[in-house]
Amino acid sequence: MDKNYVTNLLLQFVLILVQALVFNHIVLFDVAIAFVFIYIIIRLPMDMNTNWLLTWGFLAGVVMDLFSDTPGVNAVACTVLAMVKTPMLYAYVPRDDRTKNIYPSLASLGFSIYGKYLLSMTLIYCVLAFSLEYFNFADVKEISIMSASSAAFTFIILLSVDSLIASHREKRL
Amino acid sequence: MRNILEFILRYSKWFVFTVYLLLGVLLLVSNNSYQQSVYLTSANMVTGNIYNGWSSVSGYFNLKSINESLQASNAELQNQVFNLKEEIAELRTQLADSAFDPRDAERFDFISASVINNSTRHPRNYFTINRGRKDGVMPGMGVVDQNGIVGIVNVSGNNMSRVISLLNETQHFSVKIKGSSYIGSLTWKGGDATIGYVEEIPRHATYQIGDTVVTSGFSTTFPEGIPVGVIMNRVRNQDDSFFTFKVRLTSDFKALSSVRIIKDIYKNEIDSLATLDLQLQ
Repeated sequence: MDKNYVTNLLLQFVLILVQALVFNHIVLFDVAIAFVFIYIIIRLPMDMNTNWLLTWGFLAGVVMDLFSDTPGVNAVACTVLAMVKTPMLYAYVPRDDRTKNIYPSLASLGFSIYGKYLLSMTLIYCVLAFSLEYFNFADVKEISIMSASSAAFTFIILLSVDSLIASHREKRL
Repeated sequence: MRNILEFILRYSKWFVFTVYLLLGVLLLVSNNSYQQSVYLTSANMVTGNIYNGWSSVSGYFNLKSINESLQASNAELQNQVFNLKEEIAELRTQLADSAFDPRDAERFDFISASVINNSTRHPRNYFTINRGRKDGVMPGMGVVDQNGIVGIVNVSGNNMSRVISLLNETQHFSVKIKGSSYIGSLTWKGGDATIGYVEEIPRHATYQIGDTVVTSGFSTTFPEGIPVGVIMNRVRNQDDSFFTFKVRLTSDFKALSSVRIIKDIYKNEIDSLATLDLQLQ
């Protein structure tokens, strides 16, 4: 197994812990929550086998569900997120550039493409997670407010993490 | 045969996707049942121990405010004990010794516990406590903190239990207005963690804004008279034969830390009578 995947797996566990212990308890203005644990699914290399990617998403979701007492919510949302990952990125990347960079990141794709990709992914996850949790048409208002604000909050946090990593790498080179 | 294999391999991601999706939906649906395996909740060994370890660090954060409310509740309780003692002594002189049944006073037993994981942002909130079957905690027991009721034990593992928070849309509590006998049902409707609703109070009930709402005692979960909230105002509802009140909850759910689990020694007896009654019907 690639060393990269082992690092990613470790990071995934760390992020789930951080999510459960810290970010789940930070609710901005009573509506916005940052879902940092989906970061690894977003950042996994594009040449990864889709079946493995789906397994990764499902298991990460199940473990997250155990921590937050929401059985099924994250499992379904993360499986769907893993499924739409490739089509979502390829919707923004020109056909010729697809094989050049297999690691989606701020440094490799630039802000315009990576930003759009990251925002779409966080929005999809948030809409799914909140809809599954409330599961009631009467709560459409809450679902949309919480999804939009949480997606924005998650986007800002993940983008800042990304820019930190990018600037750190540049300094080393 | 080869074609079928090729077909499956070619569309394997769709098969895998469907399987995971179905598994996820299965988990989602089974969430609604009351009886749940402890492995599927935050009360399991791994997550329970992680939360337990973390709470030994983060447990210090709210100590000041918790200390203050404990002091206040302690002072009030001391006051009550003093008054009750006087009252009992006075009443004892009027009663024959045989009329006094000491067993009723010992009906409820309390087990203290710490909240190691808590949430208030979901529509169905739960919290985890660091006491389990080994300490005598069983599903169905009521949980209170120094300010009032906070939930009902839902799943108990050996060392941890998961509690259905009062902030859970599926949960109803039997309550009444303090000093009266009009029974209603308390629910939480999402959003604000400090507001609950008392429904189905009969229209002829008398009340005032600021009245305390307490548990009715009509179940084995909570003894009578534990505070729940304070009436803020009456809410207009479609059904005109009942009142609905908006209630400010007495417990601070965002800063839950030490709680007590209520054990009713008559629980088995009362429950078996209730099931016997059902069987007879």
